[in-house]
Amino acid sequence: MTKLLITEITRMGPAFCVIGLQRENDRIHSIRPVPSSANGWMHFPHQRGDILEFSLTPFPGAKPHIEDRVSTRAFQKSSALTEAEIVPYLRRAELARSLSELFGCKIHENKKGSGLYAMPSEAQRSICGCETQNLRLEICANELRASLVLPSGEVLRDLPAVDHDWRNFVDAALAPDRGANRLPRLERFLNSNFHYKIMSCPHHFIRLGLTRPYNGLCWLMLDTLFPLPQKEWLEEF
Amino acid sequence: MNDSRFPPASKTDSRRSLVEACFRREAGSAASIPADSVDLLEAGILDSMAWVSFLRAVETASGVSDLGSGLNERSASLGEVLAALQNSASEMSRTNDAGLHQKISSSPAQAVLTGSSAVPGSRLLPSEEVDRAFGMPAGKLRSRAGIESLAHAAEGENELTLAARAAEEALRAASCGAQEMDWIIATSETHHDYPSLSAQLHSRLLVRENCGALDVGGACLGLLNALTVAQSLIGSGQARTILVATADVHSRTLTPGRVAGEFGGLFGDGASAFILRSAARNDSREGYRLGEFLFGCAGQYAAAIQVSDERNGGLTVQFDGEALSRAAITRMEKVLTSVEMRSGIPRSSVGGFATHQPNPRLVTLLAKQCGVSPDTFPPVAQVSGNLGSSTCGAALHEILRSASKQPRGHRRPIFLASLGPGLLFGGGWLTPND
Repeated sequence: MTKLLITEITRMGPAFCVIGLQRENDRIHSIRPVPSSANGWMHFPHQRGDILEFSLTPFPGAKPHIEDRVSTRAFQKSSALTEAEIVPYLRRAELARSLSELFGCKIHENKKGSGLYAMPSEAQRSICGCETQNLRLEICANELRASLVLPSGEVLRDLPAVDHDWRNFVDAALAPDRGANRLPRLERFLNSNFHYKIMSCPHHFIRLGLTRPYNGLCWLMLDTLFPLPQKEWLEEF
Repeated sequence: MNDSRFPPASKTDSRRSLVEACFRREAGSAASIPADSVDLLEAGILDSMAWVSFLRAVETASGVSDLGSGLNERSASLGEVLAALQNSASEMSRTNDAGLHQKISSSPAQAVLTGSSAVPGSRLLPSEEVDRAFGMPAGKLRSRAGIESLAHAAEGENELTLAARAAEEALRAASCGAQEMDWIIATSETHHDYPSLSAQLHSRLLVRENCGALDVGGACLGLLNALTVAQSLIGSGQARTILVATADVHSRTLTPGRVAGEFGGLFGDGASAFILRSAARNDSREGYRLGEFLFGCAGQYAAAIQVSDERNGGLTVQFDGEALSRAAITRMEKVLTSVEMRSGIPRSSVGGFATHQPNPRLVTLLAKQCGVSPDTFPPVAQVSGNLGSSTCGAALHEILRSASKQPRGHRRPIFLASLGPGLLFGGGWLTPND
């Protein structure tokens, strides 16, 4: 059995993608447990911070998704960590300060429009953590997008934000029972209070991921944003 | 069936061609153009990544900066994109009409200052400590110049971090999102690196990619130069929201051993930031309206202060303190008199003077010369030292902060005046947007 600290639950389309940290002696690295028949989970009844025991095949996935391991049996929870306790472990796992360090390859700008991508044959991994000098979320034509500044000063714009908790927070903020002008209120929150809450948080940290190859390209996305949103924040706007 | 929100094709041919060209770039040159009402995401024609990418391409090609937010709560269709472009064009035309009206009535461009901030270096040193560091007798800066303390940048602080902090605070004060910025105009007399300060701020603040970034010079006059450029951009309809930022870190350039204490000891570190918006776009009655600016250069004083780099990395400083002090007082008094005449606002009714402050003694002297209370000059140099281009900014922010506590209708005009090596000079005024 392999113990994984669940650090990421992402949502893109109907399926969830789950990533955890595995400790091997002094080394901590990321593992993406996947069901045997698909790349994502249609149902995942656990939380971030849960420590789960998995039965995983030892074979890594195809490049750049080398963190993939097929989960062969049902998994069970053994314990859990708080949000603030997760981040120190993430800081000891895959970490980068610059664009070229993120996935061990060149990152390309989409010449047609927005977004950044890596070539599947060049990328050495599909998940990496980093600190940010600044970060913003915005709703662009109903899509949640993130822009951020790496410690190197390099800027990444228009990354899809696929963090399950943050997407839930946005959905909850836009729920019809929250009254009028929900979108402008959310935008104001993202432009003001949000920024202060995120950037001043001592365990502010992000993880970036690569999508599965799509038309031959792996696109960058914001997998996880710490701190996670709090329900009480909805009362503030 | 035609949707009435989508204008007939004959009126929007160029917009339609642009949208279709961007769509084909995203979906492939062989892709057929879907009907206006087809939801591109629901129909599986584009995925969410390609949809946003397509919109950004339309924004870049059309020059419309906020298409994405205009399409929130709308379907992902070409018709909605065209309608949003049409709306945006109508709005721009309204703004341009307002600009034209201003030109005809020959009133100054209507830019409103809606948010401000000032951030000094976080290491506050008693001036005696700086005296000692420069090998001067303890108490010299206090007794000769009136400087009680100096704000120096702490480790980890620099022009960028100070300006970014000031900018974030100004944005918050103006209830303005960074994405609303059309231009960042930065000025600094100590930041000589590339990328320039405005470019670094652009990245640090995560403003839109198509927000412009411009650096203006002028040393201590830099803020006024930046404000007048911002006013022009807003007045001409080229911009609706602009961030003006100043940042100066002298303590790493004017160091003991490199320059004399009588010069280097006067300077502190700090930053300031201001949000300017087009009056046509500013529904609120808050803030201050920018009046006119006047500028010039009194070249006869050019030799009073000159700073140049040496080959060995040192600095050559030519500093005739006596001559510069006399010139500074005379010229700033002249500038304030011109501002008074042009604005028709008597200096006695001014709420505060945001001027350059070479040192506190000269500020007292200037107040006396102008016949106004020294209390109308915020004590920036006394507490933080001469902050270069940020002195005027810190003073202006302090006056605006005090004014914001006054009830509307009781707020008073503000006069600006500053100088830079050359001897450059400039002045202007602001009036409450009541």
